[in-house]
Parts: sequence; C-alpha cells; structure tokens
Amino acid sequence: MMTVGIIANPASGKDIRRLVAHGSVFDNEEKVSIVKRVLLGLEAVGVQRVWIMPDRFGIGLKALDNLPLQIEASLLDMPAWFTPDDSRRAAQLLAERGVGCIVTLGGDGTNRLVAKGCGEVPLMPISTGTNNVFPMMIEATTAGLAAGLVACGRASAAVTRAPRIDVYRLRANQAEADLPADAPPDDIALVDAAVYDERFVAARAIWDSTRISDIVLTRAEPGNIGLSSIGANFLAGNYPSGHGLYLHLAASGQPVRAPVAPGLMQTVHVAAHRVLAPGDTVRVHRDRPAVLAFDGERELELHTNDWALLRLNPHGPRVIDPRRAIAVAAQAGFFTTPVPVSS
Amino acid sequence: MEISRDKLLWAYERMRLIREFEDRLHTDFAAGKIPGFVHLYAGEEAVAVGLCAHLRDNDFITSTHRGHGHCIAKGVDLREMMAEIYGKATGACKGKGGSMHIADVNKGMLGANGIVGGGPPLACGAGLTAKLKGTDQVTVCFFGDGASNQGTTFEGLNLAGIWKLPVVFVCENNGYAETTSPQYSVAGQDIAARARGFGMPSIAIDGLDFFAVYEAAGEAIARARRGEGPTFIEAQTYRYYGHFEGDSVRYRNREEEEHYRSRDCLYRFRQTATAQGLLTEAELDAIDARARAAINEASQFAADSPMPDPAELLTDVYVDYPMAALWPFQEPAVPVYR
Repeated sequence: MMTVGIIANPASGKDIRRLVAHGSVFDNEEKVSIVKRVLLGLEAVGVQRVWIMPDRFGIGLKALDNLPLQIEASLLDMPAWFTPDDSRRAAQLLAERGVGCIVTLGGDGTNRLVAKGCGEVPLMPISTGTNNVFPMMIEATTAGLAAGLVACGRASAAVTRAPRIDVYRLRANQAEADLPADAPPDDIALVDAAVYDERFVAARAIWDSTRISDIVLTRAEPGNIGLSSIGANFLAGNYPSGHGLYLHLAASGQPVRAPVAPGLMQTVHVAAHRVLAPGDTVRVHRDRPAVLAFDGERELELHTNDWALLRLNPHGPRVIDPRRAIAVAAQAGFFTTPVPVSS
Repeated sequence: MEISRDKLLWAYERMRLIREFEDRLHTDFAAGKIPGFVHLYAGEEAVAVGLCAHLRDNDFITSTHRGHGHCIAKGVDLREMMAEIYGKATGACKGKGGSMHIADVNKGMLGANGIVGGGPPLACGAGLTAKLKGTDQVTVCFFGDGASNQGTTFEGLNLAGIWKLPVVFVCENNGYAETTSPQYSVAGQDIAARARGFGMPSIAIDGLDFFAVYEAAGEAIARARRGEGPTFIEAQTYRYYGHFEGDSVRYRNREEEEHYRSRDCLYRFRQTATAQGLLTEAELDAIDARARAAINEASQFAADSPMPDPAELLTDVYVDYPMAALWPFQEPAVPVYR
C-alpha cells in the first residue's frame, strides 16, 4: 500500500523572534489549508493511505473536515502533548509503519526533530517556520504531488541525501577516546550548530550574534536566512559543494554582515574558519557555561569545562526535490495518461 | 538572558508560596472551612511569576477568577489574601470579595475578576493612564483560553492596538475553559495568531518553564516600557486541580494529568538552577520549609480572624461621589450607600 505521513508542527512560526526580530506569525489555520492541499496532491497521484500527526490545535482534524477524499486519511494513533518531542515520536511511528514519505510543515527546528525519528523515510519539507533553510517555500499542492510520486515509486531519482551535524556533549573529565566509535549522537542539527553564550535554554531561539563563539554549518549557500547566511556571505562562493564549514567568531575577526533572523541584519567577526569534509570534526570547549543551539534553537546546556564534539555526517535525512520529482514523472508520461488506479 | 541569584531565589519562593497556598486551600475547602467558590492556580505558577518578576510595585496587573497566583506573584500580603478567602474582616477586601475579588491597589493588583474577560478593558484603562501621564508603567493582563473568546477581550486588544498602549496580554491557555477544551470552544484554536489581526506582535511559549516565560516576558515588558505598544503572549500551561474546587474533572484523563505533572514548573526550576550551580538543594529546601510555615501562619491568621461586623455590610460598596459634579444628573431618590 502506498502510504504517506504528514507532520504539521502547531508551534512553528510563533517563537520569541516575533519580539526580538521581525518574524511573521504563521497561524495554524494556514497550516490547515496547507495540509488540505497536500492531501489533495497526494490523492491525485495515487497515494492510498495517509496518517497525520495529532496536535493540540487540531490541524489534522480540521484539514480532514469537509474535505472530499477518496483515499483513507486519519490521525496517527499517539498522544499529542504539545512538546517538541511530538514531532520526533510521530516520525518514528510513521517510519515503523513503513510510509513512503513524510511531509513536514515547520521550519529548520521542526525538520531537525523529524529527522531524529524518520530514519530512511524521505522528507518533503514545506516551510512554515521562522528560519527556513532546510524546508522549501513551495505551494502545498505541488509538494503533495511530489511527495506522492516518491511514495508511489514514480520519482525515486528526485530523492537526495542531506548532511547533518552529529553532536556529542562530553563532561569535563571525558576524553574523545572515551566515545565509542558507534556511539549515537546526543543530538543533531540539519543546518547549523552554534555555541551560544547563555546559561539557559529558556525561550530557545537565538538572535544575538554577539553571544555566538563557534558555528558549524552543513551548508553555506547564498540567499539563506539564519546562521548559514554568515558562512555564505563570508566565503562569497569559495566553497566546495558537499562540504560544511566551521567559523570561530571573535571581536578581532573579519566583519561580516548577515541576516541572522528575519529582518535582523547583524555584523559578526569571523576570526577563523575551516572548510569541513564529510566526517570532519570540530571540538569546542568553553570555560564558562554556554548552550549549544541547533538550527536556531537553544537545546543543550554546556556546564563549565564541558566540551562538545561536532561531526559533519553526510548521511542525514533523505529529502525530495519536488521540481525534479514532477519533472521525472512528467517525462515518464505520468501527467498525460489516465489517473493511476492504486492497487 | 540575565537573571540575578536574588531574582532566582525570589522566583522560586513565589512559585513555592503559590503552590503551598493552593494546596492548602484544596484541603481546607474539602474540609468545609471556606465559603464560596475557589479556583486554584496550582501548576501554572511559572506564568504569573515569570511575568511579575519584571514588574515594579507601581506597574499593574489585571487578573481572573483564578487569581491567587497573580496576587502572590505581585506581592499581595498572604495573610490578607487567606483571610479574604475565608471571608474574614482582616481580609484584603475586608472579607467582602472572597477568592474572586482580591485586590491591592498599593501593589498594582487591580483585582481578581469573577467576569470571564473582565480584565482586558481594565488593563487598557490602566495602560491609557500610564500613557497619558507619560510614565513608563506597564500593565500585564492575565486571562484564560475561555476569555480569549469574549468580546471584551477583542475590544481590549483593539484599543491597545490602536492606541499603542503599554499592555502585555497574557493568555494562560491551560487547556480547558471550565470543562471545555479549545477544540470545542476556540474557533481556529490558534489563540496567539488572533492577536496578529490587532497589529501587535504575538508569540506562544511553554508556560510550564519559568525560564522560557521569564525571557519572553522580559522582552515584551521592555517593549511596553519603551513605548512600542502591546504584545500578546499565549502561555501554554496546565492546572492541576479542577476548574473549581468540587469539580469532579471527568473531562480529562489520568494519563494527561500525569504527563503535565511530569513537566512541573517547580521541579524543572530546581533541576535547572541546581545543575547550573546557581542554587543549592539546601537553599531550595529551606525555601520550601519557609513557604510551608508562611502558609500555615496565614491560614491560622485567617482562621483566628473575626467575621465582618454586620453593620459593615453596606460600607465600601459605592464610592462617595460628589453628586453636584455629576450634572445634569439629579440627586438620586434613594440614598447612596457609603
């Protein structure tokens, strides 16, 4: 059976960056509308079964309300607690059910959580967050079509693998040698990991670049928002494809201006940098408390003299290129032949 | 986010006092010691304390029927609060208001409020006063997910929006308006997004995490003080007890209650503060003991206090207006009580 999962994060697009920057509030009614269009796109290409993550705002329930669908679609059977872990658990459950694709609605933070649970299931990430480097600004119908084509095995060539950053937090008395070769990371990041001069995770988002000492990026492509824009604006294109980047920031460094959050241009000072090949590691140490922020959100506290090992892992989540998926299907005559009958 | 050690100690003490106060009322009400209705705030402490940690005595708050936590966070006297709830003459309102009408203007506490959605218009009045007088006073308006559906709330948001009033609207979304979840009562269910229509920034936060509330509140209150206008915060939280004491709570299940209790704000505060080496277990234990003693003492004070004199029944009911100044209205035929 051709199946797809949908994870719409009700909390995306609502964090403190509406106060400290100029982020848009992404309301959940719009997410309902997006999920409806995704469902219609999925149905149009022959997907038979869809599960949607339940949430406290009822995005999935409302999307299914009064939507004339021929395919079977319902909420995933799991409790929703309105915690970030909902997205990870939903992804894990969907992967266990063998879905052919997971459509996500959120920003970089949402997709990071999904990537922690989805395993090898390809993602079709639709942007509804604050900093959106990993997800795409794309019409939901198109995303639904592309996700459905991949789930039905008609556009496997449109799936590529994204890198990720594996993060290991070690206590002051631990050495790198203490870390088993196959140790699972304590956390991951899809776009950026940063050391932030702050004790508390608190409201999670980061926006003050003067508090950042170190950044590891999986990508430094021009035109992005958030910390990866620092890398792109600093390297100015001198950056080999498939590589990551490490930046050390200090007052003595070269000034670089970049949009670190929506509407928030800041100047940072890059004191050192290193292009990272797949598998390369960066070791960061602080002699005072700090937090590690992943994809724009504070996550792990580093106590005094703790240190962290960050490794560029080329084997991150599998991601759909929606334009390529539709092009592949079109070239195969999919859109000029009768609507497929699912078996 | 900057927070001093003294502020951390203060915050934990306030949250613990609220918890002890409410737990005591829970048992006292069951024992038949308390007249009238009681709505307990236990579980939601991080919201009131995270907000009020940034306020001064001359800043204002408006509250709700579930107002004990707001009062304690704003510094209202515990003994007078307890006596008020007991209906005693020594209460904050001489025992005439009870749980839902505790007020202390000297502390900027403009009143708990029995009217769901009664706070926003009052908050706008306080905000307009500060704006016209040119002070930097801020008003924090607490209300619930139920009140988010009231016309008064929308009117308040509109006034604050057009006049750029120094008001922070804090929707304490505890998941139930009395017994009804937002799924059945809030169109769209996205309370934070509603404020966007009134032209003010709006965020949703984890209301069970003191540090998340404190940081967001600091930014919102600083905006208001700078004259940048209102902010809307939806704090997602949970109440441990029923809507009112006596509620059999059949509309939610044990699994849900246990989940939220596992994210208890006091527990998480303790975990963070001790892991960071900012406070010690011994310090926090000492606060726990002091809070318990303070509530015991307040409860005993209330129990020992006299009932109001029946002759006081009609005092403090109406303000003594200078009637001549109310022209063209005539002196009323019935006497004005004073």
